[in-house]
Amino acid sequence: MIFKIEDVTVYFPYDNIYPEQYEYMVELKRTLDAKGHCLLEMPTGTGKTIALLSLITSYRLSRPDSPIKLVYCTRTVHEMEKTLAELKVLHDYQVLHLGTQAKILAIGLSSRKNLCVNTKVLAAENRDSVDAACRKRTASWVRALSTEKPNIELCDYFENYEKAAENALLPPGVYTLEDLRAFGKNRGWCPYFLARHMVQFANVIVYSYQYLLDPKVAGIISKELQKESVVVFDEAHNIDNVCIEALSVSVRRVTLEGANRNLNKINHEIDRFKANDAGRLLAEYNRLVEGLALRGDLSGGDQWLANPALPHDILKEAVPGNIRRAEHFVHVLRRLLQYLGVRLDTENVEKESPVSFVSSLNSQAGIEQKTLKFCYDRLQSLMLTLEITDTDEFLPIQTVCDFATLVGTYARGFSIIIEPYDERMPHIPDPILQLSCHDASLAIKPVFDRFQSVVITSGTLSPIDLYPRLLSFTPVVSRSFKMSMTRDCICPMVLTRGSDQLPVSTKFDMRSDPGVVRNYGKLLVEMVSIVPDGVVCFFVSYSYMDGIIATWNETGILKEIMQQKLVFIETQDVVETTLALDNYRRACDCGRGAVFFSVARGKVAEGIDFDRHYGRLVVMYGVPFQYTLSKILLARLEYLRDTFQIKEGDFLTFDALRQAAQCVGRVIRSKADYGMMIFADKRYSRHDKRSKLPGWILSHLRDAHLNLSTDMAIHIAREFLRKMAQPYDKTGTMGRKTLLTQEDLEKMAETAVQDMAY
Amino acid sequence: MSNQRKRLTGEREDEDDEDAEGIGEWERAYVDDRSWEELQEDESGLLRPIDNSAIYHAQYRRRLRMLSAAAAGTRIQKGLIRYLYIVIDFSRAAAEMDFRPSRIAVMAKHIEAFIREFFDQNPLSQIGLVSIKNGVAHTLTDLGGSPETHIKALMGKLEALGDSSLQNALELVNEHLSQVPSYGHREVLILYSALCTCDPGDIMETIQKCKKSKLRCSVIGLSAEMFICKHLCQETGGLYSVAVDEVHLKDLLLEHAPPPPAIAEFAIANLIKMGFPQRAAEGSMAICSCHKEVKIGAGYMCPRCKARVCDLPTECTICGLTLVSSPHLARSYHHLFPIAPFDEVPAFSSLNDSRRTLGKSCFGCQQSLIGTGNKPGPCVTCRKCKHYFCLDCDIYIHESLHNCPGCESIHRPKSVSLMEE
Repeated sequence: MIFKIEDVTVYFPYDNIYPEQYEYMVELKRTLDAKGHCLLEMPTGTGKTIALLSLITSYRLSRPDSPIKLVYCTRTVHEMEKTLAELKVLHDYQVLHLGTQAKILAIGLSSRKNLCVNTKVLAAENRDSVDAACRKRTASWVRALSTEKPNIELCDYFENYEKAAENALLPPGVYTLEDLRAFGKNRGWCPYFLARHMVQFANVIVYSYQYLLDPKVAGIISKELQKESVVVFDEAHNIDNVCIEALSVSVRRVTLEGANRNLNKINHEIDRFKANDAGRLLAEYNRLVEGLALRGDLSGGDQWLANPALPHDILKEAVPGNIRRAEHFVHVLRRLLQYLGVRLDTENVEKESPVSFVSSLNSQAGIEQKTLKFCYDRLQSLMLTLEITDTDEFLPIQTVCDFATLVGTYARGFSIIIEPYDERMPHIPDPILQLSCHDASLAIKPVFDRFQSVVITSGTLSPIDLYPRLLSFTPVVSRSFKMSMTRDCICPMVLTRGSDQLPVSTKFDMRSDPGVVRNYGKLLVEMVSIVPDGVVCFFVSYSYMDGIIATWNETGILKEIMQQKLVFIETQDVVETTLALDNYRRACDCGRGAVFFSVARGKVAEGIDFDRHYGRLVVMYGVPFQYTLSKILLARLEYLRDTFQIKEGDFLTFDALRQAAQCVGRVIRSKADYGMMIFADKRYSRHDKRSKLPGWILSHLRDAHLNLSTDMAIHIAREFLRKMAQPYDKTGTMGRKTLLTQEDLEKMAETAVQDMAY
Repeated sequence: MSNQRKRLTGEREDEDDEDAEGIGEWERAYVDDRSWEELQEDESGLLRPIDNSAIYHAQYRRRLRMLSAAAAGTRIQKGLIRYLYIVIDFSRAAAEMDFRPSRIAVMAKHIEAFIREFFDQNPLSQIGLVSIKNGVAHTLTDLGGSPETHIKALMGKLEALGDSSLQNALELVNEHLSQVPSYGHREVLILYSALCTCDPGDIMETIQKCKKSKLRCSVIGLSAEMFICKHLCQETGGLYSVAVDEVHLKDLLLEHAPPPPAIAEFAIANLIKMGFPQRAAEGSMAICSCHKEVKIGAGYMCPRCKARVCDLPTECTICGLTLVSSPHLARSYHHLFPIAPFDEVPAFSSLNDSRRTLGKSCFGCQQSLIGTGNKPGPCVTCRKCKHYFCLDCDIYIHESLHNCPGCESIHRPKSVSLMEE
């Protein structure tokens, strides 16, 4: 359907539109007009992605003189593919109605592992080794060498791509990763480098958060994006954590050992070069004297990861004298490693600010702050000079230099925490030194500054006023949309007591109480006997899940559950979990029924959908608070309190509730779907906890369902399931229209005009 | 009176809302649907009685419309000769007490009613019973045309045990139905109370097998929607429904009584050999071929081999001839020519309708159509003869009589006078 929102003609590829999608578009359009940032919460299953894509592309079409570019960030490759598939539908529709002038170029960009078509490179098992295998075939010096020695293996795809040079362009269209690979294979061009090259010409780019937020990657991939871009972060409820992770580094004993080995190798290489080709090292030295700022001309096609610090924090000055010579630099690194090794040998937990860490480093190892700052760039330059291609082997030393540069650059918002062992396993010494970032606004600040509009959207962004504070920006629009429903297809319940009226909770002093464990077990036993097909349970942590399942096994509760449904458990092993999920789905399909035990904050809770019969009920056991004794968390809480005036308790509850909402939100993925959600903890009945749940859940949480015991929940569940099994009318009754047609929209526009007139 | 009592319970409920601990099972239903809020007062402050008949009628109209929509206005072929297996799930879940006194008793009760209704509407068809117990499917009765034998077999076996297996039941029924003549419509109606199925093999293969052998599978669930049942019904063209309560269960069951539209492959005209046996003379003694017992009177004689059978319709055990009586055939006839649904008369327009003022009573039962407060009550009108009928007569005409009194009286005025006598 085609309709107008103010002065923009919107092309929407479906015949009907949900009212909330329309509102979403209106708000989005106002954001674009105001050239500001916005924060939009809309429940999953209401077609957020298509609303967003169709508005932004239509906006672009309506302003042909100032074309905007859409940068769409997703969390996973799977979501990226889904987004591109929707865009394809939309693009076909627009081309059908507007002809070829509506053609756009949209590409998905991912790592080499997902885009490479060279079978020999792809044989490597992980991402880093694929990268290294690619570099081994495509680095400029390797290619230069191959003209002399024909037995060196090169990548044909890359060679062809290079030969085509400026002519290597993608014709307009929407390319998923699969399409890119097919195109590359067909033409014999490397899809990865082609996609990287096309980033500057594309109208729509879909890629991962890291490409914008992690300064190391953003520096090389995203630096050419113009200001007139609209950046969208989809599923952004965890965006603060992504920002923090992008700037955090942890160093373990293994890292140090590896770094030492790397240094030996580098030393060896330096000696070899000194004997054969002393000129190269001298040339590098001279270049460094002139300053790192000019290093651009050195690399040519061989881009390395960029500096881990944010662009505006990097000094444009010459490298300090004491590390200009290769061997001197290696000495400095050795001293740094030694110092870190000493620090790791500690017996108790230490917490330090970067400032004091740097000063003690200066006094004990004689390394200045300025020197530290340049470590990363210096290493990079050295490795390029030494023509090292197997980068995956050099990861440890890169990590250490990463750490050095960050610690040298930032004095605020970070802290260094050294823990001699994991808190949960105090007998096994496993020292770890962490540089953890506390300020999520650091990493995202350049994005806000650089781009015209940044859209942060997700199904769960409640409470919506906290995000601007955490990320320190001022949105022009921040709104939470409700879901218009033809029927009450979600049924949230707060269960506070077992059938014996004893309260249930995962509070620390209560969680191992046999009564609570038994009541939790009984709840599930009863539920599996009345809920068809799939049931998903989320626990607060792996250790708690392991404990409770062991107890259920001893008391025979697990056996009772198994009589009704098969039981599958998420483990920390990805392969095992994938297998379990696969079998879980099969059990749901064939009617046997299954229960999936999973962990909040785990992989399953974040990325896997349990829609339709794969999840008719989700039980959230307890409130998924973070591990509150973790030193990193404590440091972050302190920082948040001091800097942003966010109370510790507020942040913890907010974080726990967004995880809980995320878990239960897995169950409903579209309006035709239905599902129940049980929050099994007495703390959910308290207002301060409950009010932080997203609005679309709260609006279905009736007062009568706030303080239930197991038998009452069973009764409600029975009624609900029966009601939902009845056939229903999709378009909704007259009172609440849930599907708008073109005429409805025109009518709405008319009344809006009339309202304005009066 | 009962309304007032409800109101009292409601008020007490409000009082002890603070300590919700004490809500008993019997009170909860009121908390959920707040039935006292539906009560309305009229101008003089008296309680207005809740008029449920309008709601029931609306439900009926919806059902009727659905059926006629399936027929799509034009004459479609219906499968009049049906071979139906009723599969009853007697697994552990059937012992649950959410239907009073228990699911199993309620199921049995309504299946009994259904079997009678089924033979009433489909005199040429046959039924067989299969039960699922302990994960195994058992044949309770083979295909047959006598309601009494089925009901007797069903009532004898009322106990619920073990798991349920959809696949076993389907395999068994499929095997049984593979032998029925090709003109017959193969159907299974499954009453499923369990929420899972423990199958020995891949149920998807079995579903494909059923689809291939044109077995129409319908499922009535007793607790919640199951994916596999929905899938089964979609694949084989059956209906899937879930009962909300006992009344609904009955309605859902009875929806399966009228014959479904014929599957295209069967829609070719076919000649079937049938015998019309004579009723044996009162007091004549003979050994019946079905029970091997000596019986006095009450029986039918096969016109081909002269064997004695007890009930019609059936297949002669000796020569295999299909035995029916002519009223059976006649009664099946109306399915082919259903009367069109009546139009509802909108309440406001009927005020100025001159004809309406003339006939203020229902043409069927002669009751006054004027409702309470001298306002016209709800009524319907036949499209052909334009006569008005009350809601009760509407239901009676469409579901039992299958003839419109108005239309009949126009064509043959004599018969009207006969009726009135």
